[in-house]
Amino acid sequence: MITTQRSISGSSQSPRSPSSQPYLSVSVTDPVKLGNGVQAYISYRVITKTNLPEYQGPEKIVIRRYSDFVWLHDHLFEKYKGIFIPPLPEKSAVEKFRFSSEFIEMRCQALDTFVNRIASHHELQQSEDLRTFLQADEETMERLMSQETGIFKRKPADLMQIFKDVQSRVSDVVLGKEKPVEESNPEYEKLKHYIFELENHLAEAQKHAYRLVKRHRELGQSLSDFGKAVKLLGACEGNSLGKVFSDLGTKSETLSDKLQKEAHQLLMNFEEPLKDYVRSVQSIKATIAERANAFRRQCELAETIKLKEINLNRLILIRSDKVGEAEFEYNQLKAESEEATRMFEKIMRLMNEEIVRFQEQKTLDMGIAFHEFAKGQARLANGIATAWRSLLPKLEACSSS
Amino acid sequence: MIATQRSVSGSSQSPRSPSSQPYLSVSVTDPVKLGNGVQAYISYRVITKTNLPEYQGPEKIVIRRYSDFVWLHDRLFEKYKGIFIPPLPEKSAVEKFRFSAEFIEMRRQALDIFVNRIALHHELQQSEDLRTFLQADEETMERLRSQETGIFKKKPTDFMQIFKDVQSKVSDVVLGKEKPVEESNPEYEKLKHYIFELENHLAEAQKHAYRLVKRHRELGQSLSDFGKAVKLLGACEGNSLGKAFSELGTKSETLSVKLQKEAHQLLMNFEEPLKDYVRAVQSIKATIAERANAFRRQCELAETTKLKEINLNKLTLMRSDKVGEAEIEYQELKVESEEATRMFEMIVRLMNEEIVRFQEQKTLDMGIAFHEFAKGQARLANGIANAWRSLIPKLEACSSS
Repeated sequence: MITTQRSISGSSQSPRSPSSQPYLSVSVTDPVKLGNGVQAYISYRVITKTNLPEYQGPEKIVIRRYSDFVWLHDHLFEKYKGIFIPPLPEKSAVEKFRFSSEFIEMRCQALDTFVNRIASHHELQQSEDLRTFLQADEETMERLMSQETGIFKRKPADLMQIFKDVQSRVSDVVLGKEKPVEESNPEYEKLKHYIFELENHLAEAQKHAYRLVKRHRELGQSLSDFGKAVKLLGACEGNSLGKVFSDLGTKSETLSDKLQKEAHQLLMNFEEPLKDYVRSVQSIKATIAERANAFRRQCELAETIKLKEINLNRLILIRSDKVGEAEFEYNQLKAESEEATRMFEKIMRLMNEEIVRFQEQKTLDMGIAFHEFAKGQARLANGIATAWRSLLPKLEACSSS
Repeated sequence: MIATQRSVSGSSQSPRSPSSQPYLSVSVTDPVKLGNGVQAYISYRVITKTNLPEYQGPEKIVIRRYSDFVWLHDRLFEKYKGIFIPPLPEKSAVEKFRFSAEFIEMRRQALDIFVNRIALHHELQQSEDLRTFLQADEETMERLRSQETGIFKKKPTDFMQIFKDVQSKVSDVVLGKEKPVEESNPEYEKLKHYIFELENHLAEAQKHAYRLVKRHRELGQSLSDFGKAVKLLGACEGNSLGKAFSELGTKSETLSVKLQKEAHQLLMNFEEPLKDYVRAVQSIKATIAERANAFRRQCELAETTKLKEINLNKLTLMRSDKVGEAEIEYQELKVESEEATRMFEMIVRLMNEEIVRFQEQKTLDMGIAFHEFAKGQARLANGIANAWRSLIPKLEACSSS
C-alpha cells in the first residue's frame, strides 16, 4: 500500500546500481511459527538494504519477533515527542494461539508497513534505536529487551498515567490547585475535537466493514451448500431436468468460490487499511497526551519559578544566609523551566508539521483503499453476472423441451 | 407461475366475448385479516368466472378461509383416489399470529395455484365439491365445515393409519398373517424409490434456498449499516476525502436496497416453487399410501372370498341348513372383492396418467423457476457492478486532488 515510500529518495533503487543517492529499504517477510502451546510465537525476517554509512554493509538480515517491534515503538515514542509514531498491529493474545494464516499474513503486512513508515520519516529514520532494531544480532536484542527499565515496559497510556500522577502531586503541593491546566488554543481545540470524533466514526466504520466481510463469506458458504444440494437433486432426477439442476448446482459452487476469494480481498484491501487508520488516530491521541503533559510541566515550572523568585527576593532583603542556596535552586529551576518551554514549543512545531503529513498520507491511503474496494466489488459483481447469464441458454433449452 | 393455465380451454378468454368455448377461471385475491389475537384469521375473495352450465352465472364471488380450502382438499383426496391432489400451503400455526405481509402474499399465491390446478385437472374440475367450494354462501360453507364426520376431519396420513389399524385386525383374524402385503411390481418399486429419494433431496435444496435468501438479506443489511457509518465519517472529515467517504456510503445504501429487493424476489420466484415441489411430492406419497391400502384390501378380500368358497362347498357337500346363509355371504363378499379389484385397478391406471402429467408439469415449472433465478441473479449482479463502476471516476477524482 505504501510501496512508493520504500526508500528515502522516493524511488525504489536496486542496491546494485552505482548510485550515490542515499536509500534505506526495509521489508518484513517470511513469518515462521516457533515454540509450542502458550509459548508459541511468530518470527519474521527483517531485510535491510541501504547505502547509508551508519549501517553495516549493503544488506542485513535479522530475525525479529512482535515484542521487538514493540520495543522499537516504545523507544521512539519516548524520544520523539510531537511526532505521530506509526502504529503497531494489536497484540491480540487470543488469536495468537490460533495463528490462522490470514492473521499471520495481516500482521506481517502491518509490521512491514510500520517499519517502512519509520524508515521514510525524515526525523525517525535517523534514530539510533531504528539502527539497533535493523542490525543488532538476536542475542543483543534479547538482552536489550530484558534490560528495559520500568518506564519503557509501560504502554504509552500507562506512561501518561504515571506522569499525571507525579504531576498532580507536584501541583497539589506547589500550587495548591486541583484542576489540570490546559492550552487555550482554538485551532488546537478544533484539531483535538476532530481527532476524537474521527476515532469514534472510524471504529464504527471498521466494525461494519468487518461484518461486511463476514457476510460475504456467509453468503458464499450458503451458495456452496445450495449448489451441493441441487446437484444431488440433479443426480436423483435424471433427464433434462436433472441436467438443469446439475448445471445450477455447479454454477452455484463456482460462484461461492468467487465470493469467498473476494471476501478475503475485501479484508486485505479495505478493512485492514481502515484498521490501520484507527491505529494511526490512536497514535495521534497519545501524542496529544504528550503535548498536554509538556504544557502542564511548562506551566507548573513557570509558576514554581515565580514563587522561588519571590522567596529569593525576600531572603535577599532580610540578608539571610540561605540566599546562596536559594539562588542556586532558582537558577536550576530557571534552566528546567526554559528546557520545558523549549520542549513544549518543539512538540507544538513538530505536531503542526505532522498534522499536514498525516492528512496528506491518509487522503492518499484511504483514496486507494476505496478505489480497490469499489473496483473489487465491481469485478466480483461482473463475474457473478456473467456466470449466471452463461447458464440462461442451457436453462431455456431445458424448459422448452 | 401458471398464468397460462387459468382457463379450461388453455387460453384466457374474457367472459364477455360471445364464445361457445367452455372455460372455468378462478382467482384467489384480496387477503383480509379478521378477528383478534388467537382467533385471528385471513379471509380471501374467490372469484369464479365461467360459462359452464353447472355453475350459477358468469361470475361469482365468495369469501373463503384456509380451513375451507382444507375441506376441499380432504374431500377430493377421499373421492379421487389415484389422482395426485394439488397440495396446500402449510398450516403454520406460529406464523399466523405474526401475519407478515410476505407470509400472507405467499399463502394467497399458493392457494390461488391450488384452486387453479384443480380447475384445470380434467377429472377434478368436474367435482361437485369444487362447485360447492366456489359457489356456496358463507353460512353453508361453515355448516359443511363443522358437519365433517370424524373420518374427514382427519388428515390423509391419520386416515391411512385408521385404515391400517382396521385392516390389520381383519388380516390377523382372517388370514392369521402379520406381514402387510405389497405389490411386486419392479416399475412401481422404482417409482416409489424415486419419490422418496426426491423428497429428501428437495427438502435439503429448499432448506438451503431459504438460507440463501436469508444471507442475501443479511448482506444487504450489513451494506446499509456500513453505508451509514461511512457517511458519518464523511461528514466528520470534510474536503475531498470526506466527499469520497460520502459517495461510498451513499452507494452502499443504494445497493443495500437492491439486495433486499432481490432477496424478496428470490423468495417468491424460486424458494416458493421449490416448497411447492416438496408439497407436490408429499401429495404423491399420500396417493402411494392409498394405492397400498387398495392393494391390501383387494388381496385380503380375494383371500377371504376363497375361504368362504371353500366353506360354502363344504357346507353344500354336508347338505347343511347353513348353505343359504353362506351362499348370500359368499355373493356379497364376491361383489366387494370385485369392487376392491376395480378400485385398485382404477388407482393404478390413474396413477400412471398422473405420473406423466406430474413429470411434464414439474419440468416446466422448475425450468421456469431456475430461469427466473438465474435471470434475477444476473440482473442483480449487473446492477451492482454498474453501481460500483459509476463510483470509480469520482473516487479517482478525490484521490488525485
